This record gives sequence, C-alpha cells and structure tokens, in this order.
Amino acid sequence: MNLNSRRRFIQAGFAGSVVLIAINSKLFGGVSVLETVFVLQEDLFPQSTGVPTKKQINAKSYLSLILNHPRVTDSDKKFIKNGIRWLNEEAVDKYKKIYIRLTPSQRQDILNEISLTSWGEDFIADILKYIFEAMLGDPIYGINKDESGWKWLNHRPGLPRPKVTYL
Amino acid sequence: MKSQTKNYDVCIIGSGAGGSPIAYELSKAGFNVVVLEKGKYYTESDISKDELAVSRREMFTPMLKDEQHVINDRENEKVTRYVGSEYNWSFWNGSMVGGSSNLMSGYFHRMKPKDFKLKSTYGEIEGSNIVDWAISYDELEPYYEKVERIIGVSGKVSKHKFLEPRSTTKFPYESLEVNGITKWFDKACKTLGYESFATPRAILPKNDLGRKGCSYSNFCGSYACATGAKGSARAALLQKCNAKIITEAFVYKLESNKSKITKVYYYDKDLNSHSIKAKIFVLSAQAIESSRLLLNSKNSFFPDGIANNSGQVGKNLIFSAGGSGEGRFRFENLTKQQQQELMQAGLFVNRSMQEYEYEEKGKKYKGGTIDFLFEHANIISRASKELYDDNANIMWGKSLQDKIQKNLTTSRVLTFEVFNDWLPTDYCNVSIDEEVKDKYGVNVGAINLYSHPHDLEVGKHLAKNAIDVLNKMGAEDVLVNISASPPPNLVAGGCRFGDDPKTSVLDKNCKAHELENLYVTDASFMPTGGSVPYTWTIYANSFRVADVIKNSF
Repeated sequence: MNLNSRRRFIQAGFAGSVVLIAINSKLFGGVSVLETVFVLQEDLFPQSTGVPTKKQINAKSYLSLILNHPRVTDSDKKFIKNGIRWLNEEAVDKYKKIYIRLTPSQRQDILNEISLTSWGEDFIADILKYIFEAMLGDPIYGINKDESGWKWLNHRPGLPRPKVTYL
Repeated sequence: MKSQTKNYDVCIIGSGAGGSPIAYELSKAGFNVVVLEKGKYYTESDISKDELAVSRREMFTPMLKDEQHVINDRENEKVTRYVGSEYNWSFWNGSMVGGSSNLMSGYFHRMKPKDFKLKSTYGEIEGSNIVDWAISYDELEPYYEKVERIIGVSGKVSKHKFLEPRSTTKFPYESLEVNGITKWFDKACKTLGYESFATPRAILPKNDLGRKGCSYSNFCGSYACATGAKGSARAALLQKCNAKIITEAFVYKLESNKSKITKVYYYDKDLNSHSIKAKIFVLSAQAIESSRLLLNSKNSFFPDGIANNSGQVGKNLIFSAGGSGEGRFRFENLTKQQQQELMQAGLFVNRSMQEYEYEEKGKKYKGGTIDFLFEHANIISRASKELYDDNANIMWGKSLQDKIQKNLTTSRVLTFEVFNDWLPTDYCNVSIDEEVKDKYGVNVGAINLYSHPHDLEVGKHLAKNAIDVLNKMGAEDVLVNISASPPPNLVAGGCRFGDDPKTSVLDKNCKAHELENLYVTDASFMPTGGSVPYTWTIYANSFRVADVIKNSF
C-alpha cells in the first residue's frame, strides 16, 4: 500500500477511531485518535531549523496506514489507543480540557508528567518510533518526502531501493 | 481437499543451509529431488533494502498470531510460560526459499578440532550434557573446503594461535574491501599484543560462480542480497540446480511404517492438503521446527513421535552463548582524514579475534570467538536508539533532535559479537505445547529455555579482550551485554547425532537410528555448537551427508 494512493484513508478502523474519556467513572467525551497523534507529533518532534517538516515527514498519514496494518499487532494498536485515552484523562484531570485543546506549555507539562510513568514513557517512545519510521522510511510509501529525513542525517540508503510497496 | 500423491527419489523439508546442499548434489547426480519450503520464493530482482518492510514489519517471518512458539523460561529453578504472540517473542528467522541463509551476515568460521571432542578435551561440566561428536574435524575438513569453493568464501589465511588445520593454503576468494577503521583496529591489537585476523565471509568480492560480486550496499545482515554475492542456499545452490521447489508448503506430518518414512503431508497456502512419497526423506526445517515435526508425527510404531522411541528428540537444544558490545567514535577526537575514513559507507570491518582456550586457576577452559562490525546501517533503528538520555529518561523535542543529529552524523558505533558454547543441559529442549495451535491447526513447539551459568562466565571472559581493543582505539561509551538471552538465529541441537541409539536420535551420517530413509541435516544434529556461527558447519555437514545419500542409492 502506498500513501500516494489515498484509498487506504477511507478504511474504517484505527484511522477513523475515537476513544472515550472518562473521569471518575463519568464520561467526559470522545477524542479523535489521529487528531491527537497529529498534535503529539508537533509536541514530540517540533518544527525546527534543518529538521524535516511535518509535511515532509507525513506522519499523520503514515500512522493511519501503519496502525491499520496486519503486521502491527492488535496489542500494539490497543496500547496506542489506550495511551491516547490516558493522555487525555491526564489532560482533563489537570486542565479540564482534552489534550489537543491545551496550550503548548500545558501539553509539555502533561508529557513531562506521563513520562515519569511506565506506560507514559512507553507511549512516547512508541509514537516517536512511528514518527521516525515516517521520517526515515523509503519515500515510496509517500513519506520522507524529498528524502528530507535521509538528507538531515546524511544517510545513504541501501541499494536497491524498493520498486514496489510492501506495507 | 487432497491431491494425488507424487513420487520422488528424495524429498527435502526446508530449503535452508541444511537442506540445499542435498538438493544441489543429488539433483546434479541425476536424482529426482523435491524441496518443500514454507515461505515464498524471492529472487535477486525481488530484493530491496526496504527497512520498513524487512526490519520494522519483518516481512520474511510469519506473523506471531499465525505461527508462534511457547517459551518456558527457566531461571532460578522457576519456570515462566510465555506465549510468543502475547510477548512478541519470536524465534522465526527466514521463511523463504534459502531460509535464513538469505539474511545472514555470512561471518564464516570453521569449528576447531577440539570442538569435536569437547568432553574428552576439557572434561565434564556439572549440570551439562557435553559429549564428543560422532565424527572428527578431519572427516569434515574436506567439506569445509568444498563450501569455500561452491558457496564462495572470501578471506585471508593468517597464522594465529587457534588457526584450524586446512587442506588448502588460501581461500578461493580474496578478502572484501575494508573500512579505514580496520587500520586503527589492527594497530590497537598490535599494541595490546592481541592476535586478530580477517573474518572469512560467505560473500563473493567479484563476479564468479554465475553470481555477481558484492556491491557494498551497506545493508548485508538481516537483508537478502540483491547481487547474489552472499552465499545463501538459494543463490549458491538452489538457483544452480534443477531440484523442484514447492513454495508455501507447510509440512505438518510424516507418515511411517516400522522402519521407513512413507509419506510427508503438507498444506499449501489455501490449506489444501497434499502428500509426497520418496525413497529418501531429508528433514531440515531449522532445529526447533524439525524436532517439532518429529514430535507431532506420532503413529503406532512411534507413539512419542517419529524417531523418538529413545525419547531423545527435542533434547539438548542449544543456542550460541555470549552477547555483544559496542563503542562510539566521535568526530571531536579524530582528524579530518579519520572522520572521512570512519564514515565511509558500505565497506566492512571484517576483523575477528579468537581466544579459543584459556586458563584460569590452573584449569583450561574452552573459550570462543569475537567478530567486529559496524552498527547496522538501519537508520530508523539507529535513531530509535537515541531516545533516552544518560540517565535512561525518555527524551523528545529539540534536545532529542539535536542528539540524533549529532550522534548519527558526527560519530559511528563499532560493535562486537561474542560467540561461545551454549552448554547442552536437561532443561533446554523442544517439546510440544498442548494448548496453542498455529493457523494450520497444528500444536506449536514449546521451547524450554535454560542457560548454564558457565556460559555467562566464558562470555564475560571473552568480552574483556574486545573492550580492551575498543578502549585502545579511543572509543567512548563502551558498553557490553553478555546475557543468557538465546539468539533465535543461532540455534542447534534437538536431534543430536551419535553412535548410541539410546542417547542420540541420528547416527554419524545424520540418518535416524530407527529409520532407514530419514536424514536430519539442519543444525539439529549438533551435540555441541562450537564457538562460532553455525552456517559453515551446517553447509559442510550437509555436503557430507549428500555424499552418503548418493552412495546409498
């Protein structure tokens, strides 16, 4: 599957999924998984000089592909969803708003808090690894545009490059 | 749905380094040979260095929800059960034509003469089941030499204390090109008085044997080779003979009478069952799966599994003990020229050290081998290694970006791998899990894991030399990790060979004691593993058995 063809986006499943947030057993509301991941990307891997741009990395689209992929295990997918739920529960608990509605400094505050927990540390690491996959995987998948990630790290890809997509 | 049974002279189960020499030799000798392979057939034109597909999504191994193992890990006399799919613990290597030899790095070392008589040389070690081999080094040497020519091994014979006897003075191919760091390595070894040598590699440095030479793509280990330079069982053997290969064929049962295998049954990718008859059957599905198939194939003559009336099938499973380590070379400590040398992509380090025997407190111990190589070029993996700060806290944001850029563009990591014997014991073996089945509805293999404490001691001793060299070379952040973790790609045993049918599954020619026409030629036959990667020995032994089978017709 290639992100340059957009058929995959239509698929239901992770891409369109919403997780429900509850505080003290009381339903607070639903949050979009991908919207949260999109904001998380800005927080965890921000725009800065020389670093590939969000558009070049294309992590949001990549995540919608990969988190529907059969080779990502159900438990890994579940962990990402749970992580987004817990992240938002932390946000609502402290600031009474879901994560994507917080100010950048409030979001960093929440990230700092969850990073001290075992699940939070693993969740941040998982999201960053998927961002790295989008930033440094082969552009044939519609990611790492203009080979911007490889150029940033002076990386010479192995040859031959893929001629067909596997994912 | 069942199809008509087909007849062959030889039926080989598994197309890796254990099975392919038989396919090559017997088909060239005019016999009608079929190879059943669970994976797909990828040729050079299909191969790419797609990190996402090969390394991140592991396209060459089964998904664990479809096929897995149950691991019963024994530590401090307590056994913990891990269902592979629940813990993402995989023992698969390469399900594809040519097997995991496609994905090896091709670090080729011969075993030494003393490896063939470990028990009589070094004596018993309490809690282990060491035995001498049923053959000697001298019996295998002609086949080690044959592998050099047919598979293609490059290297340079340099004298050192533990150099094994050779029937030829040179390798048939010159050593591969090396990175500038190799000069620093050699200088450090000379200063320290350590012997090192050019690592023999199953890689052609130039076009030959109908294959292209190495392209120095910088992505060798874990990836299949797109030029054919790497001596995989596919490129070197199966593509050079006319043995029939049936892909996506999972063998689930062997059928036998009292003295012979009569049929094998396999499922195709659509789960249709087929069967094959042959005069000779060769099992080479890699150690764990070969034992599993025998144990799952029960009948009235073999109620505990084919060839298992001795109760020995699956016993004495071994891995390679040891571990790995690394050190980082930073630009700030190097001259401009050294910086350029360090970052040359594609060229190999290709250096090894052997301390195959050492003495402590007046007693001699079997030691092992250390191979040096650059950290794998996989860029996603290397970036992911940078996620934690010096205090092991997760990082993100600008500080993480700066760390990644600095470490990946102005430094490089040299790693080493330690290989020493994983002692065979009563607690490390293969059995059948009674609960978990695979997608074919067949009970999965249970890997009962145990590492003898002696293995760790030897590994730690060997690693000291590697650390000395890294420090002398000026490396920073030197780390070492010697552990009891079993490397899934370095597995052997389970059907050890020997002269006594009560204590071994196979005879000295790797034929089952109890059956006239069943051979097992992957690493299952090995009663001990030596202190080197296994592939060269598997190839050599399989060529040896091929001669035996040829002479048996």
